Amino acid sequence: MHRLLLRLEPLVWLLFGQGILIGTMLLTPWLLVVGLGVPLGLVPAEALAYDRAHALGSNPLGRLLLLGLVALPLWKGAHHLRSLSVDFGGGSRDAAVAALLYGLAILGSFAAVAAVIRL
Amino acid sequence: MAPSKPGRTRTAAPVRPHQFPFGGRYAAYTLFDATGLLYLLVGFVALRVVWALGSGQAAWQEMLRQLGHPLYVAFHALCLVAVVFVAVRFFRLFPKAQPPRIGPLKPPPRPLIQAMLYAAWLAVTAGLALVLGGGLF
Repeated sequence: MHRLLLRLEPLVWLLFGQGILIGTMLLTPWLLVVGLGVPLGLVPAEALAYDRAHALGSNPLGRLLLLGLVALPLWKGAHHLRSLSVDFGGGSRDAAVAALLYGLAILGSFAAVAAVIRL
Repeated sequence: MAPSKPGRTRTAAPVRPHQFPFGGRYAAYTLFDATGLLYLLVGFVALRVVWALGSGQAAWQEMLRQLGHPLYVAFHALCLVAVVFVAVRFFRLFPKAQPPRIGPLKPPPRPLIQAMLYAAWLAVTAGLALVLGGGLF
């Protein structure tokens, strides 16, 4: 398992880095509008009316952005939590923790692909 | 990759710094890593939202109703704080991590790289917020 993690490290670091950079850039407007603006009444609810939201999300660029919005933060989260686990608990459980966290990120990423395909 | 055979240099056992995890500079370091939990959770929440959008109008309306729950609002407010913290820390770190040369080219000066990152962040945030909020399209 440890050797496999070492082999996958360049790929994990690529997704982790993009999770920080692109994930952060996509999450900011998402949180401002979808997470806070509409629920708090600061943005008109019509902005997220079903027909409009579906039209925005289902075009090719919309699907790509939604895929990045969902999948990339999962990899940032998984890798940083793994790092936190090593810092607090040492490396003895690292392989199991990494398998669990990256497994979640992989599952979430595949689910994100499915979610944007079915839009 | 691990070396093919162990090196000859003896290494000391790792020792945890006495200021870890919340003393001195370790506080920001630990918090930066801890934002991973929020990123992981908000990624799955966003997945739920996108899935609901693909499940039809009724599911979408129900999702929007759930997003109005105070717990969701508080969670998203906390995530926004985490995202801003990550951006500010990462944009300060990123220029320092550049190699001295990229092929024949030298990277731009650090302040310029940092300014470009902030400009891109603001442009993406303003552009997508306008689109999502109904100001564009």
